[in-house]
Amino acid sequence: MLPGLASGGRRRRRGLRDGDYALLLIAPAALTLLALVGWPLLKLAIDSLHTGSAFDVGGRQFTGLTNYRDVFTDPAVRAAGLRTVIYTVVVVAAELALGLAVALLFYALGPRSQILRTAFLYPLMIAPLVAGLLWRFMLIDNVGIVNELLSRVGILDHPGDIAWLSDPGLVLFSVAIPDIWLTTSFMTLMIFAGLQSIPPELLESARLDGAQGLRLLRTIILPLLRPVIAVALIIRGVDAARAFDVILVQTGGGPQSASETLSLHIYKTMVTYNDPGSAAAISTVFMAVMMAVALIAVTTVWRPGRQS
Amino acid sequence: MTRRPYAMRRLRRSLLWFLAIAVVAVYAFPFLYLLLTSLKPATDAIAVPPTVLPHRLTLDNYITAVNRQGVRASFVNSVTTATLATAISLALAIPAAWGITRYRTRAGRIMLAGSLLVRMAPAVAIGVPLVGILGAVHLIDTPTGLALAQTTVALPLSIWLLASFFEAVPREIEEAALVDGCSRPRALVSVILPVVGGGTAVTAIFAFLASWNEFLFALLLTSLKAQTTPLAIANLQSQFGLDWGPMTALAALYSLPAVVLTLLLQRRIVAGLSLGAVKG
Repeated sequence: MLPGLASGGRRRRRGLRDGDYALLLIAPAALTLLALVGWPLLKLAIDSLHTGSAFDVGGRQFTGLTNYRDVFTDPAVRAAGLRTVIYTVVVVAAELALGLAVALLFYALGPRSQILRTAFLYPLMIAPLVAGLLWRFMLIDNVGIVNELLSRVGILDHPGDIAWLSDPGLVLFSVAIPDIWLTTSFMTLMIFAGLQSIPPELLESARLDGAQGLRLLRTIILPLLRPVIAVALIIRGVDAARAFDVILVQTGGGPQSASETLSLHIYKTMVTYNDPGSAAAISTVFMAVMMAVALIAVTTVWRPGRQS
Repeated sequence: MTRRPYAMRRLRRSLLWFLAIAVVAVYAFPFLYLLLTSLKPATDAIAVPPTVLPHRLTLDNYITAVNRQGVRASFVNSVTTATLATAISLALAIPAAWGITRYRTRAGRIMLAGSLLVRMAPAVAIGVPLVGILGAVHLIDTPTGLALAQTTVALPLSIWLLASFFEAVPREIEEAALVDGCSRPRALVSVILPVVGGGTAVTAIFAFLASWNEFLFALLLTSLKAQTTPLAIANLQSQFGLDWGPMTALAALYSLPAVVLTLLLQRRIVAGLSLGAVKG
């Protein structure tokens, strides 16, 4: 943001040139974001070089890069990082598979699927917090409706057979369910819009050439959808990696930290263990990695603003 | 020969419809279950084994939830905070988005990319230092402080959405207004903005919902006074754990406006979702 601001300011002569006027329009928003995002991030970086907080009796102390050394050697941070990656991959892969399948289904049904498409959309408006609590309620061991229904139709012998949220080996996948439920619609929506922009003649001629079903999908449809899917994957990947509410209200990161992703680990380091220095160091590294991934993804695959 | 393929196609079509309806039904189940549970007597809501349908319909859970201490205040706080965050975001995003799309300067492109990056930042990395910053200016536990924090989400989102809507405005409209003697700011407010009225409304809805549904900043930056409804929902505990009956009632009350809005404004919302790619 800053380089742009600086270069525009030099050209001020008579009246307002287009570039300067544009800058004037953009500046308030840019300055607000700098104050509300830039400043906290700067403070985060400074905090990460200290121990204790400014409110401690002994005050806080400059410790240089000690917090960072701890970040990279602490097995708990590494485990949380790994869980974040697994969680993100699970959520995004499930959403892509489901979202693509449902979008193709709606597309095959044509315009008359409008009502179903609308009904499919509603979870997008529900708060992640509500989704998390609701699924916790539905998955609660022994007494949850999901296991009850599964056992009634004979898939489970006993309602207590799957301990969704208390089995450490399973919980990371269980906490992903509300996230998947909440935003598969988004994936469907994007892919459906992509499908509608494919010229029907193209599909027709491919059909006449003998391409059917999976082959049509693999050779014609998926390559054409690639840009749409790439954007959807970036957005959902970034959102899943920073998921917080959904997991916190389901398990609080437990049992035994088995569902503690980086966002939760940072929150706990800050609030439960009252260690702002470490929390800031982990956040800074998390932030840097996320920004690097997002920047690479956005500049190489997405390129917003350049398509027109 | 022609009859069999036709019959086959009809069968295939019926199967597809059946499949689509089944998917939507499974997808709709959780929210229906939330509504049904909220209408059960509180003891039935936590009965073992659970049932899908209530034996008896009652609004007791709603009455309990609304009468809990802090719940009604939390609704006021949620509305205040979301309104503030929406107003701040739109006031800043309308000129910024117009500046970006109309003039296509380097600064504009940087701003657009910057908003996207800000949207992708982990909220916890911004929220944690904001605790100290807002504390220093005495805005902790106030709707204003929380609204400012949520502006970090709602503003980039609004810029991104509005920029997409402004794309569709032909330059000639502004030029005509300028020829008629409008100043440029005047042309923006009274000529261009009405043209994208629908888009602005969608943007306002999304900014409002971003704040309405936000939890992490509310958790970090408010305690008792400025507590929003998501916190009130999460805090509905009894000595036995979460108080599911009243909790589902409060969650239903709180989600219903958003769900109804989606169904009513479905087409516009779809446009917004695909343009702004907003869920977060």
